[in-house]
This record gives sequence, C-alpha cells and structure tokens, in this order.
Amino acid sequence: MEKGSHFTDTALLQLLKSNESPDEGIKYLYRSQYTVTKAYINQNNGSDQDAEDIFQEVIVTFIELVKKDKFRGESSVATFLYAITRNTWLNELKKRGRSKLRDEKFEKAKDSTEMDISHLIVNREIKRQLMQVVDSLGDTCKKILLAFYFENLAMKDILKTMQYENEQVVRNKKYKCLKQLEQMMTAQPQLAKNLKSVLFYE
Amino acid sequence: MNNNSTNTELLIRFIDGELENDELIALKEQLNTDNSLAAELENLRYAKDAIKSYGIRNTVAAVHSEMMKELNTTKTIARVISLKQILKYSSRIAAMAILVLGIAMLYQYFSATPDQLFRNNYNAFVLHESRGSTDVSALEQPYKSGDMKTTMKIFNQLNSPTAEDYFLNGNAALQSGNPSAAIKSFLALQQKNKSENTHLFEEDTQYYLALAYLQNNDAASALPIFENIHADNKHPYYRQAGSWFITKLKRLATEKK
Repeated sequence: MEKGSHFTDTALLQLLKSNESPDEGIKYLYRSQYTVTKAYINQNNGSDQDAEDIFQEVIVTFIELVKKDKFRGESSVATFLYAITRNTWLNELKKRGRSKLRDEKFEKAKDSTEMDISHLIVNREIKRQLMQVVDSLGDTCKKILLAFYFENLAMKDILKTMQYENEQVVRNKKYKCLKQLEQMMTAQPQLAKNLKSVLFYE
Repeated sequence: MNNNSTNTELLIRFIDGELENDELIALKEQLNTDNSLAAELENLRYAKDAIKSYGIRNTVAAVHSEMMKELNTTKTIARVISLKQILKYSSRIAAMAILVLGIAMLYQYFSATPDQLFRNNYNAFVLHESRGSTDVSALEQPYKSGDMKTTMKIFNQLNSPTAEDYFLNGNAALQSGNPSAAIKSFLALQQKNKSENTHLFEEDTQYYLALAYLQNNDAASALPIFENIHADNKHPYYRQAGSWFITKLKRLATEKK
C-alpha cells in the first residue's frame, strides 16, 4: 500500500477480517488514527509511551471485534476507535488513581459517550496475564497452534514447516498443545474468571 | 473438568468443525447433559481464542515497531523540511529585499540630479541671534523676518560689507533662487576671510556655497567641497555629506565633465 492510500471503512474491515494482508489495514489505521490518539492522550496527562501502548492495545481489540463480527458499523471506524481509546485511557487513569478530579472527569466523559462501549474497555491487566500464559507455551506448541488457528493453515501445510512424520502426528501435537493451554489458563482463578469478558467482550 | 482424553479430542474436533453426522449429534446430546464436558468445551474455545488474540497481538506489535519508526521519521523529516522551508523562504525574502534595495539604489543613483540633491539637502540658514553686540548687520532684521529681497537690496547699498553681510546676502540669494549671486557672495566672504586671516562663518559658508553650486547645476564645483566636509567628521555638516550622497554627486560631476 502506498503511504497516501485511503481505504473506505468497508474495504478496511474486509482487509482486517481476511488473513491475506492484514498488515496493510493495520498500517492504514496507524497512519490515519495514531496522531489523533496521541494528541488526545497527551492532552489528558499521558505520555508518548502511554499513547503508543494504548493505541496498540486499541488496535488489537478492534481487530478482534472485527474478526468476531462485533463491530457492526453503527459509527465510522475513526469514531469507534476514538471512543475505545478514550474509554480505555480514562479507565487507565482511574486505575492509576491519580486524583479525585480525574475520577470525576472520567465519570463525566463516560456519561457523554455516545455509544455504549463500556463493555469494550480493554482490561489491559487481564489481557497481559493471558498473553503471558500463551507466551509461556513451548515454541513448537505456539507455532502449531498459531499456524492452525490464527493463520488458518491446513495440516498438510503445517507439516511442511515442521519436522514431523505425518499429519496425524501434528494433529496429535496440536491437540495436546491446546489442552495444555486450556489447563494453564484455567489454573489461574483471576484469569479464568475474566476469560469471557477479555476474549469475547461480553 | 472432563479428564477423558477421548472426549477432549472430540471437543477439539468439534471446535475445529471436523465432526459430522452421528459423531456431531452424539456430542451435542452429551454436552446437553454433561456440564463438565460443556465447561471444558468453553475453556477450549477460550484457549483457541487466546491463540488468535496472541497472533493478532504479535502481528500488530510487528507493524507497531515499523510504524513508529515511519511516523517518527515522518515527523523528523517534517521538522527538517519545515526548517529548510523557513530558511528557504527567509533567504528568498532576504534576496528580494536586497534586490528591491539594490533596484532602489540604482534608481536613485542614475536618476539623481544636482537640483534633486540640492532639494534633499537644503535647509535655509536660520539666524538665531546677533553675532556681536555692537556690530549688528543691517541685513539681520529683514533676513530674520524672511524678507530676502530687502536683505539683498540693503547689501547692494553697502560700501564695505562685513563677513556677516556677505553670508546673509548669500543665503538670501540662495533662498530667492539666485544661485549665481549666492556663489558670488560666498566666494567673496571666503576671499575676505583669507585676506584678513579670519574664519568667520567658514564652515557654514563651505556648506551653503556647495549647495549653491548644486542649485546652479554645477556638481563638479560642489563635489570637492562636499568631499572635504565628508573627510572631516567634526565638521558641523558632516552628516549631510554621507558616502551615498558623495557617490551620487561623483557620478553627476563626471557627467558634467
């Protein structure tokens, strides 16, 4: 994609949903939305690093919502991202508990949000825990599970990149890896309790 | 939690969309009655989604690093371009100003005339007080009152004019637009000072004689006088004989020759 390329919301959503070239859609979001996010966070007591972290988190959340068909296009992508950013950042400020004034500002800002996206506020801490659990899986397990569930590769294609005898061996390995991950996730009570809200935004 | 590995395998095949027909129907029936199996299914779905989320996060993280570099570079480039543009525009403005100034100076240089130099520099000599309490010139009163005609008339009736008479008569002639008479009177005063070894009205006379030459369209005669004034920074009319004035006068003096 050329740096000056412009996507309609529909084209952007199709791009993000597909596994063909999601990078282009993500880059477009950065080029078109990051400056707005950074300005908002800087104006609200946040650093440049805060802006980077929040934006990255918001983009991940947005793509997950798009892939789960939970973004229905009731507002423009830009408006939606701004709303998630604002709520995520105000929630972060509240957690940091810097001042009563900020809490009042948070409540006021939440009330004025046009869309009901309070359930979409990114619970950064729980998500961080979840990603740590996945990260602690062995490299082989991560590779097989990502290839199958994220990249949607067929077993025969995964086999080509792994040193296993046949597809069934890979299939068995995948089964064990997913079961292992499920056990690791449910072994953490705090995490297990919040999986639904963190992964399904419900 | 269901610990039966066969059931777990079935559950994974179910979430992968690989169960069909009888197997699918049987599992669905079992899920309706077995809460622990249903709970395991839910957790396996979470695990699957966690992997997807992990993949998305890694993809965004990779793009994030790249984009931060791009956006920061763009910002730096924008700053550099902005600075360059400021310098470029400043240079252009400076060049334009120099050009305009140059054109204006060239215009002044080539369009200057002796009469113009005279008009730009001439201020009528103002007589503030009597120079000497006993020897008051008869020309003072009419000169002070601005009656140049009477001033010159009285001068012409004098048998032996004083230095002040010569000086006031010269200025009256200059004010009346009679540069020849002014030159004649100023030169006579300089001659008188020379012969009597005095310096009365010496510097004023130099300046107004030079102006009289300009009014008489004789830049060549005015030039050496103004050059002497220009060379003497203690001369009371030093500021009136600036470098740019001398430059223009030199051109006119050359033309005259």
